[in-house]
Amino acid sequence: MFPQPLEKRSSGFNLGYKIALPIALFFWLLPLLAIFMTSIRPVADIATGNVFGIPSKFQFIENYREVFAKTDALQYLINTLLISLPTMVLSVGIACLTGYALAIYKFRWALPLFFLFVAGNFVPFQILMLPVVNISVKLDMMNTVPGLVMFHSAFQAGFCTLFMRNFIKDLPFELIESARLEGVGEFQIFWRLVLPLVKPAIAALCVLIFTFIWNDFFWATVLIQEDSRLPITVGVRTLNGEFVQQWHLISAASLLAAMPPVLLFFLMQKHFIAGLTLGATKG
Amino acid sequence: MTASAADLTGKFDTSSKQVGVAAAILAVCTLILVFVIDTSLVQEVLGLARAFDARVPTFFIRVAILIVALGAALYLVTGLSYYKRNKLAVTPWLFLAIGLGLFMLYVIVPIFQSISYSFTKWDGLYDINGDWTGEWVGLHNYKLLMSDPNFYTSLKNNILWLLLYMLAVPIGLFIALFLNQTVRGIRIYKSLFFFPFVISQVVVGLIFVWAYNPQFGLLSEFWSWFFCDNKVNIVGNLTRVCSVEPPSILGNEHTATYGIIAAGLWPQIAYCMILYLTGLNNVSPDQVEAGQLDGARGWKMLWHVVLPQLKPATFIAVVVTVIGALRSFDMIATMTQGGPFGSTNVLAYYMYDQAVGEGVGRYGYGSAIATVLFLIMLLYISYFLYRMYQDEKEGH
Repeated sequence: MFPQPLEKRSSGFNLGYKIALPIALFFWLLPLLAIFMTSIRPVADIATGNVFGIPSKFQFIENYREVFAKTDALQYLINTLLISLPTMVLSVGIACLTGYALAIYKFRWALPLFFLFVAGNFVPFQILMLPVVNISVKLDMMNTVPGLVMFHSAFQAGFCTLFMRNFIKDLPFELIESARLEGVGEFQIFWRLVLPLVKPAIAALCVLIFTFIWNDFFWATVLIQEDSRLPITVGVRTLNGEFVQQWHLISAASLLAAMPPVLLFFLMQKHFIAGLTLGATKG
Repeated sequence: MTASAADLTGKFDTSSKQVGVAAAILAVCTLILVFVIDTSLVQEVLGLARAFDARVPTFFIRVAILIVALGAALYLVTGLSYYKRNKLAVTPWLFLAIGLGLFMLYVIVPIFQSISYSFTKWDGLYDINGDWTGEWVGLHNYKLLMSDPNFYTSLKNNILWLLLYMLAVPIGLFIALFLNQTVRGIRIYKSLFFFPFVISQVVVGLIFVWAYNPQFGLLSEFWSWFFCDNKVNIVGNLTRVCSVEPPSILGNEHTATYGIIAAGLWPQIAYCMILYLTGLNNVSPDQVEAGQLDGARGWKMLWHVVLPQLKPATFIAVVVTVIGALRSFDMIATMTQGGPFGSTNVLAYYMYDQAVGEGVGRYGYGSAIATVLFLIMLLYISYFLYRMYQDEKEGH
């Protein structure tokens, strides 16, 4: 293990480490802590310069209630859910199919197509922007939530396919071969044999995609203009323009936007990290 | 013998009943999709007022019928004798169909469309007959780019982003080394350190806008510890008097980009840290012990024994950092919108601004900027694919 484990160090070092840890964490999360404190203080505090001290009054419930009362925050949150949940289901579902095809079948196009998915996943969004707007207009889906979902699912299929294909590739191939020898159909093999084995990958992908889409800002600004359909990320930015200098409300709204992915991360930590660090341990 | 031969021929025959039923369903679905469903019809049936409202229900009906059609097509194909004889060659394409189709439609084809737009002058509109209103101008847009000072600012900023964003990799490694211990509660610490990555970039941007605020931000608070005094003015209010005024980082065209990059580093460092933590988990203890026997300690051990084993993690960290740097958009959009005086533009934001920003609709010019950005990214993508190809050759 590197660096040297604490047990092998002096007791002074141990003590120092245990003190340094919370201090480092405090400074690392200071911006977040500060904005949380702002979100629970009365507006008067900010005007009088009490920005970092103890709030003169704790207005946790009042401030957050005000955000919901004065803005469409609730609608924005619902919209974000309506965008991210279907995208999650669609893109992960598609990737199970494509990943299976690219990992199991040895045909000439398997590797080129896999690389096509990988490469497409990395392109800058701007090169897709105008044609995607045109497609959405032609399909009569511009400015709608399904239109955004369709695009997100198609785009995320690239990343999901990369993930799924590598995961399925690591399964023992003998399993599939012996099933084939027994005369099990190809679709049966996929449904009965492979799908139950890739459950961990599905879980990891779902958490990741949900977070990615929840945090998406660019595509929502491009594909949706109607205010009542905007997701929370765009909504929060709009609020920033409306509530000039009302920092207690802006910070409360920002934290609301950040909360769901954070909760999801804490609940599904193992899957989340497994997804993100795919490939970090082997070439 | 003859019986089994008959079995075999029966096995590979086209089952006409299956194909017939599937073809009928497919035909009906296609008919509905092409001719019957349109927005105005759904509007009438459901009694919706505006064309706008009808689009979503129409969409779901279309998707439902499309799924039935796809199922029918699948059923049809599997009934054909051709499929039965060439199972292993045909099946992967059936599995790929939906994903590849969508990916082509929304990702691969648009890349080429965008490149072709970059040779035109177009404001994004079609005339009343649905005809394209642009005109072909050859390399004109690229010539314009060459003499556009904003383009050079954006390019310079992109390079700045790339270089400074790379700091996330060593800092991430440093924090990972710091946290790679086993004390009580270390798992909680690790996940709390990872926190900033989970938060949307828009929110990170807003947090830092506030942190940089020269009147009451986090930074001005630190500033006032050194340069300011609180005094009571004539009316009795507490005011702050500073010997040197706190800087307005985002308001100054020389510092704004650095301010945004620093904000962007926060989540990116967290990402690199988690990559390295996972990598460190898999560092072989035997080699570390062997290194110790050879007298390697501290930096030497890190450089010669541990870092080579962390190579895969470093590779992924560099790749995601490069992509993050070139994709930087959300932060700029929330923190400065390219200002002050266009000094924080990067190619991604400048393209957006030119193509759909207020009052400008320069699709052709915007596409030219996007193409340049794409070509830069293509360098990295090619390198990444090359590395993957090497691994594939070795691995399988």
